[in-house]
Amino acid sequence: MKNKLSLIFSFVLVIGLLAGCGGGRNETANTSTDTGNSPAKENAGKTEAVTLNFWSALDPSSEEGRTIKQLVEQFDSSREDININLQVISYDVMHDKLVAAINAGDAPDISWGLSEWFGEFNQFDALMDLTDYFNSWEDKDKIYSNVIEAYTVDGKLKALPNYLGIRALLYHDDILKEAGYNGPPATWDELLAMGPVIKEKTGKEAFGIAGSGVRSPQELIMYLAQNDVVIAEKMSDGKYKNTWQDNPDQLARAAEVFQFYQDLLSTKTIKSDAKTWGWEEEDQNFALGQYAMVVDGSWMQTYEVAQPEEMADVKIAAPMYKSTPATFMEIAPLFIYKTAKADATWEFAKFLLGAEYQSAVNLNEAPRTDIISDSPWGRDFMALAETGVVFPAVSLGGITNVMQDSLAKVLLKNEQPEDVAAWLSQAINDSLKKTGELSAE
Amino acid sequence: MFFYLTKRGENMKKAAMSLRERKFRRIAYIYVLPALLFFFLLNAYPLLSVLWDSFQIKNLLNKAVSGFAGMENYKEVISNEYFLGTLRNTFIWTVLSVAGEYILGLTSAVALNQNVRGRTFFRALVIIPWIVPIVVAGLTWDWMLSPDYGIINYWLTSMGLIKEPVYWLGEMDTALLTIVFVNIWRSFPFYTITLLAGLQSVSRDVLEAAAIDGAGVRQRFFKIVMPQLKTVSLTIVFIHIIWTAINFDFIWIMTQGGPLHSSETLPIMIYRYAMQEYNFGNASALASMMLGFMLSGFILYYLYTARKSRA
Repeated sequence: MKNKLSLIFSFVLVIGLLAGCGGGRNETANTSTDTGNSPAKENAGKTEAVTLNFWSALDPSSEEGRTIKQLVEQFDSSREDININLQVISYDVMHDKLVAAINAGDAPDISWGLSEWFGEFNQFDALMDLTDYFNSWEDKDKIYSNVIEAYTVDGKLKALPNYLGIRALLYHDDILKEAGYNGPPATWDELLAMGPVIKEKTGKEAFGIAGSGVRSPQELIMYLAQNDVVIAEKMSDGKYKNTWQDNPDQLARAAEVFQFYQDLLSTKTIKSDAKTWGWEEEDQNFALGQYAMVVDGSWMQTYEVAQPEEMADVKIAAPMYKSTPATFMEIAPLFIYKTAKADATWEFAKFLLGAEYQSAVNLNEAPRTDIISDSPWGRDFMALAETGVVFPAVSLGGITNVMQDSLAKVLLKNEQPEDVAAWLSQAINDSLKKTGELSAE
Repeated sequence: MFFYLTKRGENMKKAAMSLRERKFRRIAYIYVLPALLFFFLLNAYPLLSVLWDSFQIKNLLNKAVSGFAGMENYKEVISNEYFLGTLRNTFIWTVLSVAGEYILGLTSAVALNQNVRGRTFFRALVIIPWIVPIVVAGLTWDWMLSPDYGIINYWLTSMGLIKEPVYWLGEMDTALLTIVFVNIWRSFPFYTITLLAGLQSVSRDVLEAAAIDGAGVRQRFFKIVMPQLKTVSLTIVFIHIIWTAINFDFIWIMTQGGPLHSSETLPIMIYRYAMQEYNFGNASALASMMLGFMLSGFILYYLYTARKSRA
């Protein structure tokens, strides 16, 4: 009898342990915030309401985060046929979770994301073709056309804009005035000329950059665009290539950009530590008035609450440039994955792109032409949308890594700008080759 | 003939084993089954998968190309311009961390083994760094080391030890050594409590006898105390060599291997291959190489000690 009990106990143990390893899908649903809890929804459940898994990187402690949750709950309550299973996952971990989920065939139906992930997810063939849905949408003309173009690959729309992170030149007017300037620089040369003067007269640096981290490649492609070069061109075979090494003029222009970085450092226009600053240091030091100017996003407005005095003199202008006005336009995407619940997911996506949601959540950074805030943080940034540049639609994991390395070579190792430009060109093409996106031309 | 005798011996042995013993043995196997299942599912299978993948073309971003890669993944990893630097960093990170932790752990254990006032309080206090979560410790040190607002730079400049704030985690020369320092701070309490337990088992009678025979403090420590700590020391050092060499989170939180790969170790490089470039062939090759390095080290040590004990 005892032996039989032991045997039964062992089997129960094994089955219990194995059960613990499985059941990921159900567990995910249980641990998330299911907003479909109204009585109406419970009844609707009997008529097979569709449940959509929605991964969002909202900040639950912020006013914006609370508004998003509230609006999603409203949508959930208003639709008897759709449940929204909202999961809050920070950007830091969302990327790896999405990659794992996509490759395990267990992706959510819809998620937030960063523009840098678009090429990868498209390469994974994980994204739904939204062309027909979008073309039949009555509000389609209200979305910026260049934004839609950025997420169109081979004529197919593969993602939607969640919000726009357009970069502008922010400057502390008081620091500039103290140094004897009435306004910000319009060109790189003007900035480099102002740098030593501002340092001498105020003791503060004129400018800030992100020398490392996710923001540094974003700033680098902006400066490259301001000097008429791109990191990868789409060739006639539909694939991409960095053409700097084939074109001496482009290589020289790319080298000028790296020279600009070195000049910023050598003229003390930027602080020495800025060569390895990430976005946190860049934003925080500007908000505290530690330096005069930065090319940054409209989210800097949130610092007005924490540092009202230091942020009181901040003004907004177009970024300075070398030969062509350009700024980085981060199009934060809404990814809609290949799902059997395509119709319901599109309905929810329309709601997220709709005027009500966008004006409540993204007033300063809406991708809709009909929603522009009167505040300088909205109006002045959106005025730069036309000059916005984006990353090419290729897998960027390896490319952004080598872009960061190129800046480190220039700023930390003081390597020759021409050598670094040639090195980066080769490294980008090597990365494209590994992912099968390198043009044979 | 030999086979016949062996078979016969086995039969006799089986016959000698009672029915009750056989039942016990069967039950024992069943009890071991969950552990075996776990071992195969969570250890053996992933390990063999990694080894297998290291010889395959496996890039999630380029599924059109796949198949047997031969040694190509290994060649690509070794020819990476940062590979040798990363290997050197892993060695420096592991050796300095473990050495520093051991020295600090031993020193604090000896101090806490003395009959001083408030000994219990200090013993409780010393454990704090070890129980702080790595993320909290990493971020806190990150702020403390900041050149603009960090307390460390403030103290050092106030005391006149440095002229101006240093960006400890932002300079290629200092980033790795700074993380080693923080790692030592966090891990030494484990050595302290383990070595303290070892010190308490050292016989006071033997120490007193040695003192009466004229042995000085240094002689007693190195000739009596340290030999008795040898087993426990070897155990924690070996455990920490493994834990430190494969550590990912501390470095990732503080520098992500930067600036310009100057604090990058092999686990960070594996992560980059796998989760940033999605090149699981290269990542598996590097992971297999790392396993090989670790195994080689331990096998060499085993052979050395085996030869020494034979001699």
